Amino acid sequence: MRTRSTMAVVMAVVAATSAAVAAQAQFDPRDLSGIWTIRGHRSISANVPPMTPEGEARLNANRPTRGRLLGEPLRGEHPGFVRAVPVPSQGNDPAHKCNPNGFPRLLLDPEPVEFIQTSGRLLQVFQWERTLRELWMDGRRVPSGENLANLGPAWYGHTAGAWEGNTLVMNTVGLDDRAWIDIFGFPKSTDTRIEERYTRTGPDTIELRMTLYDAKLYTQPWVSDVKTFTRVKREDVTFFGWSGLFSGLTEAICAPMNEVDTYNTLFRDRAGKGAGK
Amino acid sequence: MKRQLTLLVLLAAVALAVPVAAHHGRGQTFDMKKQVTLKGTVSQIRWQNPHVLIFIDVPDAAGKVVTWGFENSNVSTLARQGYNRNTLTLGQPVTAIVNPAANGEPLGIIVKVILADGREIMSRERGNPVD
Repeated sequence: MRTRSTMAVVMAVVAATSAAVAAQAQFDPRDLSGIWTIRGHRSISANVPPMTPEGEARLNANRPTRGRLLGEPLRGEHPGFVRAVPVPSQGNDPAHKCNPNGFPRLLLDPEPVEFIQTSGRLLQVFQWERTLRELWMDGRRVPSGENLANLGPAWYGHTAGAWEGNTLVMNTVGLDDRAWIDIFGFPKSTDTRIEERYTRTGPDTIELRMTLYDAKLYTQPWVSDVKTFTRVKREDVTFFGWSGLFSGLTEAICAPMNEVDTYNTLFRDRAGKGAGK
Repeated sequence: MKRQLTLLVLLAAVALAVPVAAHHGRGQTFDMKKQVTLKGTVSQIRWQNPHVLIFIDVPDAAGKVVTWGFENSNVSTLARQGYNRNTLTLGQPVTAIVNPAANGEPLGIIVKVILADGREIMSRERGNPVD
């Protein structure tokens, strides 16, 4: 009797393990398609490298509303994360006037993003801003030298790369330095290069590692934490007629008529002016 | 040791719990330690991003009506909880509990809405995060 029950337990364990292995096997590591949300530090990482004098000056010129309030005691974190103005109307976050979040700030935002993969491109369609990044994987290289100078900077830069084994490695150059790196106001220069390494680790997960190179503002490369994209539940992005999510992603356009004329006027600034006085 | 590990796991879970709608730092704009209960009727619904804005007309003891506005999460997050632009209708009597603006303006951030039949909807703790 005891032997029989032991056998049953062993068989159950084997079956469960096989099912788990099968589930793991049921994904193509070179297919990143889907609707995902990112988790991880809201900047590149908490470990900000030492900044150059120009980097420090650029950081101090940016007045964010996110992070802990300026003047609060440090708890071991980089002072760049403790710089928030007390009320939003005292800040100068470019996104509050619907300027593009730019890269990498938008990628670091936890709102859903859809990855659409074609043979030569990975498209990232972001719910917030309802905007697009094109990550080229058709053999081209990122522009450099005169080509880059002629193209000039772009809010989302110019991105190209290729598969290295089962990791998609992308590089972005030519970033517009008016957009912040993150919600905390860390700056970037137009010389910035950012490497992204995407590895699908399961049916519903992709890991992302990033490294930011910007010798003008940071004395060392800024290496990210491991960021994880988790697939959004099917029922949350499928239209059943009741939720209004007709297209999976909603139209979260930052429209100045909504954000600036309405939200800023009625809430962000009106509630902020004079607060605490 | 086990308790320490559990605590560590819990702390890690809290640290990783990133709000879905996270565009708007607000510092000391709103008094998050204070709650105001508003009884009135819905007078305006702006079902839009970045945040859904709802206004209600609230009569005071002397009968004077003050229009209060409160912000919610975004369209997408509310949709995933089953709420849409017709969840509330103009003229509907409701009770709203909000964290009020620190400067005394009749503005706030949603805590929850209580309908006439006692149902609680759009609770910030249950799927209507405002950040």
